[in-house]
Amino acid sequence: MALVTLRDVDFAYDERPVLRRISFDLQEGAFVGIVGPNGSGKSTLIDLIDGLLRPAAGEVLVSGIPTQKYRRRDMAREVALVPQHFDLDFDLAVREVVEMGSYCRGKDAASQGDPDLMLARLGIGELAGRRYTELSGGEKQLVVLAQALMQQAPLLLLDEPASALDVSHQLHLFDLLQELNADGLTVLCILHDLNLAIHYFDRLLVLSEGEVAAYGPPDEVLRPEIVEAVYGVRAYLHKHAGRTYLTFSPRLRGERKGRIHVVCGGGTGAGLMRELADAGYEVSAGVLNALDTDEETGRELGLQMAVEAPFSPVGDEAHAQNLELMGAAGLVIVTAVPVSHGNARNIEAAREALAGGTPVWALEGLLESDFAGATEGLADAGVRFFPDEAALVAAVARRRAPQQAAASASPATLPSPKA
Amino acid sequence: MTRLGRTSVWPGICLAAGLLLVCLVLSLVLGPASLSLSQLWHFVTTGPVSGDLENAIFWQIRMPRVLLACLVGAELAVAGVILQDLFLNPLTDPYVTGVSSGAALGATIGIVLHWSGLPWTTMLALVGGLATLGIVWMAARRRGRIDIFVLLLAGVTISYLASAMVTVLMIQCNQDMRAIVYWLMGSFSGRGWGEVQVALVAVPFMILPLFFTREMDIMLQGEKRALELGVEVERTKRLLLVTAGVLTAIAVSVCGIIGFVGLVVPHIVRLVVGPSHRSLLPVSLLGGAALLGIADLLSRTVIAPNEIPVGVVTTFVGAPLFVYLLRRGRKS
Repeated sequence: MALVTLRDVDFAYDERPVLRRISFDLQEGAFVGIVGPNGSGKSTLIDLIDGLLRPAAGEVLVSGIPTQKYRRRDMAREVALVPQHFDLDFDLAVREVVEMGSYCRGKDAASQGDPDLMLARLGIGELAGRRYTELSGGEKQLVVLAQALMQQAPLLLLDEPASALDVSHQLHLFDLLQELNADGLTVLCILHDLNLAIHYFDRLLVLSEGEVAAYGPPDEVLRPEIVEAVYGVRAYLHKHAGRTYLTFSPRLRGERKGRIHVVCGGGTGAGLMRELADAGYEVSAGVLNALDTDEETGRELGLQMAVEAPFSPVGDEAHAQNLELMGAAGLVIVTAVPVSHGNARNIEAAREALAGGTPVWALEGLLESDFAGATEGLADAGVRFFPDEAALVAAVARRRAPQQAAASASPATLPSPKA
Repeated sequence: MTRLGRTSVWPGICLAAGLLLVCLVLSLVLGPASLSLSQLWHFVTTGPVSGDLENAIFWQIRMPRVLLACLVGAELAVAGVILQDLFLNPLTDPYVTGVSSGAALGATIGIVLHWSGLPWTTMLALVGGLATLGIVWMAARRRGRIDIFVLLLAGVTISYLASAMVTVLMIQCNQDMRAIVYWLMGSFSGRGWGEVQVALVAVPFMILPLFFTREMDIMLQGEKRALELGVEVERTKRLLLVTAGVLTAIAVSVCGIIGFVGLVVPHIVRLVVGPSHRSLLPVSLLGGAALLGIADLLSRTVIAPNEIPVGVVTTFVGAPLFVYLLRRGRKS
């Protein structure tokens, strides 16, 4: 039997719906994280499980019994909660604060547990005699955890326990939770840091606008497309040294600023591609060799690219694809990529695009790193050169400005430059 | 001050009890006709004897007055602890619930109707106080819960309303103005065993909170956290609010409105024994009794044969003590 079961739970504060049709099971011994944007109903969900709120529809079962049938003391024996905020203005000793957690176990000293032992178990035994009000934020969080553990409940709920902690305290806290879970405690924890969520939790529940967007193992539910749909930001998945990381950049919702094609390679275009993508442009690149640094970056960013096999010169097929991408773009940018015979065709492609009416901008460094003589006469042909990447990016942004007025007419294309 | 950790409550209680005993002896011995300790022992052991004037003064005047002062002090201190910690507001005193103003209105009506003293004025004051508690209670009830902040606001509002009505009555019946003003200032002058009996009704209400010290400790963390830890918050809150209301109503009805005790005694005790209610409640109870006992002694002896209103004395005694303890508390 599941420890917690939610069946078609709706909840609303007054008339404002907060949770809709929530259904999920929490098995005994599970280690589950809840993630989701602010206001997606995470804290409300936790309060529903603890019986502090009652569902408007559906049912919340703890150990098979609806939460509203519990008396508070019995509920506290089933479910312990570590709240997001915990203030205490009164001058109580840490030991006294922790000891309050055993209230639900009754007056029998044997079943109450020892606050000193609990503090020692969390590695903060030396705090027992200190005043709670004198503790640091990280220490307070652990003391509140100790208080909740004194309830000896099989389920521990945590509402953003790590949000006020520095990185070392965060890791310490989640390591502790993992240990407690290994000893049989079921843990359901709200957190904001998706990378911590990936590393620590067995399963994740993703809440979005009051509904369950996904529930499953982290690598299944934190795919970039789900993160983008739920949070409205671009998400990129990286694998490094056997671990998976997510990075993010803001996305301007619903707005596309036009297409830019980048000719690069060897890492000369990675920063530029990311910057342009973050700024809202639809970016393509090519021709790049597979496994090249820029090709990897482009893949993480989800760009359209013309790709050639590793360490091979640009072939006909890739070249044709590259021309196609350039044709669709409103602007072609050439970075300071070293030019050899292998990739000289990319410069030819840029010349063709220019002849076809697409403006081509380049960095001055390109001329110095040309080992094939492919760039001769580019300036005379009408390519605009920039001393560095910053100047180029600034010019791209300026191009955009006069277009604003006409944006509604042709939002997907860049205007041609003035002479 | 080493009170951190789970120390025994008995040292604090014994100290407070000793203090109260000293206050009782001083209050019973000193006065317009001072007694020696042996005389005190003699009167206490023989009990009331008819025909002996000194014995009559002791048993009919001094003893009930001293007991009444101590009982009222204890009642106000306990009510103060309960309300400060329920409202989580250090500036709360037993009078914020409006109970005292309701009682004052009741007493004023009694005085204006010339139904002076016990039972009528006292009973009207008691009824006024309890009725106000009921009104404030109804105002603060929402969906089966008592909203503590609405209760506070309703209490303050009712206080103003009742005070306004008292003012109107004072102007309408200005021959009674002096009596009303004296009642409002609070005094133990002329109170006897009848008032002591009324005040004794409050004793169970002083004992009751002692069974809820753990719940009260936990509720210092706020109502939500208390619910999470398994406290039946609503039930506990109701019980404590009624307790504090009844204690205040009884205290005010027998002696008028005596300020400062309910505000300052809990603070002083907290600074000495800490905020844990296992110590705070019993020590406040004994300390409140001692403070008001001493204050009444001063009020009737300092400029004898005239009296200083006891509320003035509580302020003169309590304020410097409070400031001293606050400063000492900061340093440690």
